[in-house]
Amino acid sequence: MSAATMGPARNRVDGRLKVTGAAKYAVEFEVPNCAHGWTVESNIAKGKITAIDAKAAQAVPGVLAVLTHLNMPKFKEAPKKEERGISSGIRNEERFPLSDDGVHYAGQYVALVIAETIEQARHAASLVKISYAPEEPLLTMEAAVKKAEKPKTNHDENVQIKKGDAAAALKDASLVKIEQTYITPTETHNPIEMSGTIAHWEDDKKLTLYDATQFVKGVQNVLARSLGLDLENVRIICPFVGGAFGCKGAVWMHILLAAMGAKVAGVPVKLHVSRRNMFVGTGHRTPTRQTLSLAATRDGKLQAIQHVSETLTSPVGQFTESCGSRSTGLMYESPSIRIEETVYPVNVSTPTFMRAPGECPGTYALESAMDELAYALKMDPVALRLANHADNHPTKNIPFSAKHLKEAYQLGAEKFGWSKRNPEPRSMRDGDLLVGWGMATATYPAHKMSAAAKVILRANNTATVQCATHDLGTGAYTAFTQISSEQLGVPFENVTFELGKSDFPFGPVAGGSNSTGTVGTAIHEAAVLMHKALAELAVKDPKSPLSNLKVEDIAMVAEGRIGSVADQTKSDSYADILKRAGRDSIEVQSEQKPPEQSKTLAFQSWGAHFCEVKIDPLLPRVQVTRVVSVMNCGRIVSAKTARSQIMGGVTMGIGMALLEETSYDPATGLPVIRNLADYHVPTNLDVPEIDVSFVGEPDFAFNPIGARGMGEIGITGMAAAVANAVYHATGKRVRDLPITPDKLI
Amino acid sequence: MNPFVYSRANDAAGAVTAIAAKPHTKFLGGGTNLIDLMKMGVETPAQLVDITRLPLAQVEELPGGKGVRIGALARNSDVAEHAIIRQRYPLLSQALLAGASPQLRNMATVGGNLMQRTRCYYFYDPAFPQCNKRNPGSGCGALKGYNRIHAILGQSDQCIATNPSDMNVALTALEAIVRVQGPKGEREIPIADFHRLPGSTPNVDTNLKEDELITAVDLPANSFATRSHYLKVRDRASYAFAIVSVAAAIEIDAGKKITAVRIALGGVAHKPWRAQKAEQQLVGKTADEKTFRAAAEAELAAAKGYAHNSFKIELAKRSIVRALTTVAGMTS
Repeated sequence: MSAATMGPARNRVDGRLKVTGAAKYAVEFEVPNCAHGWTVESNIAKGKITAIDAKAAQAVPGVLAVLTHLNMPKFKEAPKKEERGISSGIRNEERFPLSDDGVHYAGQYVALVIAETIEQARHAASLVKISYAPEEPLLTMEAAVKKAEKPKTNHDENVQIKKGDAAAALKDASLVKIEQTYITPTETHNPIEMSGTIAHWEDDKKLTLYDATQFVKGVQNVLARSLGLDLENVRIICPFVGGAFGCKGAVWMHILLAAMGAKVAGVPVKLHVSRRNMFVGTGHRTPTRQTLSLAATRDGKLQAIQHVSETLTSPVGQFTESCGSRSTGLMYESPSIRIEETVYPVNVSTPTFMRAPGECPGTYALESAMDELAYALKMDPVALRLANHADNHPTKNIPFSAKHLKEAYQLGAEKFGWSKRNPEPRSMRDGDLLVGWGMATATYPAHKMSAAAKVILRANNTATVQCATHDLGTGAYTAFTQISSEQLGVPFENVTFELGKSDFPFGPVAGGSNSTGTVGTAIHEAAVLMHKALAELAVKDPKSPLSNLKVEDIAMVAEGRIGSVADQTKSDSYADILKRAGRDSIEVQSEQKPPEQSKTLAFQSWGAHFCEVKIDPLLPRVQVTRVVSVMNCGRIVSAKTARSQIMGGVTMGIGMALLEETSYDPATGLPVIRNLADYHVPTNLDVPEIDVSFVGEPDFAFNPIGARGMGEIGITGMAAAVANAVYHATGKRVRDLPITPDKLI
Repeated sequence: MNPFVYSRANDAAGAVTAIAAKPHTKFLGGGTNLIDLMKMGVETPAQLVDITRLPLAQVEELPGGKGVRIGALARNSDVAEHAIIRQRYPLLSQALLAGASPQLRNMATVGGNLMQRTRCYYFYDPAFPQCNKRNPGSGCGALKGYNRIHAILGQSDQCIATNPSDMNVALTALEAIVRVQGPKGEREIPIADFHRLPGSTPNVDTNLKEDELITAVDLPANSFATRSHYLKVRDRASYAFAIVSVAAAIEIDAGKKITAVRIALGGVAHKPWRAQKAEQQLVGKTADEKTFRAAAEAELAAAKGYAHNSFKIELAKRSIVRALTTVAGMTS
């Protein structure tokens, strides 16, 4: 049982560049005469700036400009809502930076200092004196109750869902019920590469940005709109990204500051966001409070699922985290499903997408509640999930395509040895240590966006493929090289895939696990065009075995060859066709068009995590000792990097379950956790070997590559699997993450 | 970062002269704490005197079997791996290896580790208006703020920060002597008197005078090498400060009676906390879990928790019991 894989497992094509330091990240580009920016941030959460004294800062040698709302040039008006959005780029905050005297959260940029060296800029920034008239901030859900909103949709998907009568079923005395509230804290992405931008104006109408981003075309769009420039005069360059997880998905204020700052200072400006400011200026995952109510028959058939989630956003934010609709809305069969989502605007910095936004906290709550229900029913957790397996999308009532979740449960349970589990809490031991086994379901939607690709095929049998897509460290270079090789029929070693430049044909945001499928489809379409272009040359060539055939009867028949679909003996090689035509190369580009969204099939990836923890009952720090994860993501393009993606998601899920929390000062609303010593991500010692496998088949109903993407699914459900194992080990159900030792004493 | 003058000293006398010559001068060793604080604007020295070239990095035996002398500039990683330290003071070796990361241990010096500032979010980040340590008289932001990592013993209403060092906890249990050199010559400071409780002057972490240089740490000879243990409880398995740590050493006779014991706690106070009350309770008693728990209760009787750190009180008791159980169970 393993998902069909595309070709042999490949090492990363950019691996050597990465390990030798030759891979150039955005802020590493050398731009002559580049100055440096350093920001000043607000220390109050709400209020108005009453005075700014920048004299001392301006007097520091090397200082070129001190920008505040008093002298900041105006950006162009915010574009109409329909011009924004996932395909054209998003500005994470409604408000432009330094646009007025208002302060909406602590950590908001209130000044930018530009100087010849970074030390001068940093020192001068410390000398800018800002006076405020503070106002009482709203810092908690309770404080912001009157401002609470219930959005109808999120990215065009309904988020307030009502199917059947959940309220009635939850009152039915004959059913077994549980109702619990689960809390997740603020989590911060913390990719190893911090965000940063070099802004370089070639003249007053032409801007080049070297920017650490998940969306070069989005940054290009937003910057062109905000600065009133022609799209083709804004170039974005980003060949490598050192991790992102969503915090580089949309345009944050430092990018706009760098661009405007460089214009004012008249020199290129590098603005590298400090690790400290990565906790306020590039987003985080909102804290969530989720109440799950489940009702089931005594044999475990769900009759009602109710998922009420509450999250935060900032007063200037654009993002909401949809916990329930993106997990409970599609996970299990039930005659009644009720999903409610409420968002509270508070004076805390702006949240954003973070790996599986919505699905990740949503599956934590749902899969914890399912474990609690399994105990209430005295039923095995895997059996309970099998009893409620959904063949059809529970709220859209269309079948799921190529869903192999049952196989994932079965293989995972087998590999883990689940049948040896004694369900009684505190029943399993390893010497003095408590042992717990937990499991949970993983799920993430297969998103489809639009892209185009350019192919240059040469007579020497090499090819270059270009798309303005991204490699966040995920292995996209390798996966797209593999797809290009397969689709074009050119040997892997002979394909060069180029990405990370806005000059290339459109690539979508590297988010929502869509890139492999979306860009893969564009490569497929470009390959079809290339084979057609070769066929057109061949049929006109009397020396070709394909001479006088119809172009539409010709397709790729083997690596490097097109031929008659009907008569396999008639074929011709790419090299020969080009050489006889006197061509060194041939170039084609696919067309960017809106993706077809199926109305008859639902596309979703699935998986199961099984996890073992060991806990010292006296000093109860949770140690994860084994993880088995089985995923069903359609076709696996790049076997090695696919496995790494799941390992990364599981690792981040372990962090979410046990370690990660951005805590805030209750008085100022400033994060107190603002560095990697205090913000705990898992170390090697916290993560066991992770056993990853894949099941299923290529999902060709979804796209011609058959791949559904896998950047995010690994983290979904993982925190619940750990929390469920902790309950099994200790008999204590911790319902607020992370599960640190204090919660188990 | 504030502008500052950088100079380099070639010997201890030169270093002491340099620090006396210019106000607001600090010595630069490994820089693993000072540079961070300078970048944040928490420390703003006018001059740094680089002492890393001073010949003070040796680990050597004291004459007459009186113990071992560790030079103030010996790197934490070198001390931890030194054969003499591993054989005679495994407690110190364990504590050093439990601290920070290999990269930091390779840089950090013994003298610098003694001098690292107490750890508190409100002290480390000048964005917070209140900190009596950074800005005396401004108040303590942690008291009613987020205080999960803060002190439960010996704190004052002026400051509830904790000393984050692992090494210092072991040195306290080993009754180390800190050797310092000032303009008037050398003096010795017992480790117990080196760090201070916050009281009404939390801005002063240690009793080292501003013009004094730490030259060495002496470890007196003892017979604890076979029964000692450093226990560190932290949120993640590696690279995390202790929420509670215990340095424990014990001697027991053939009848399982405790004849000598040393206990020091980390992560609970403004200085490494010598658990004298627990020690007093234990001497002459039988080494068993009940005795250990009673001693732990006695030590923590005066402990006080805040909104987020009260768990440390029970955790400290359990940690003492575990550390003592571990050392009592060792075969000598």
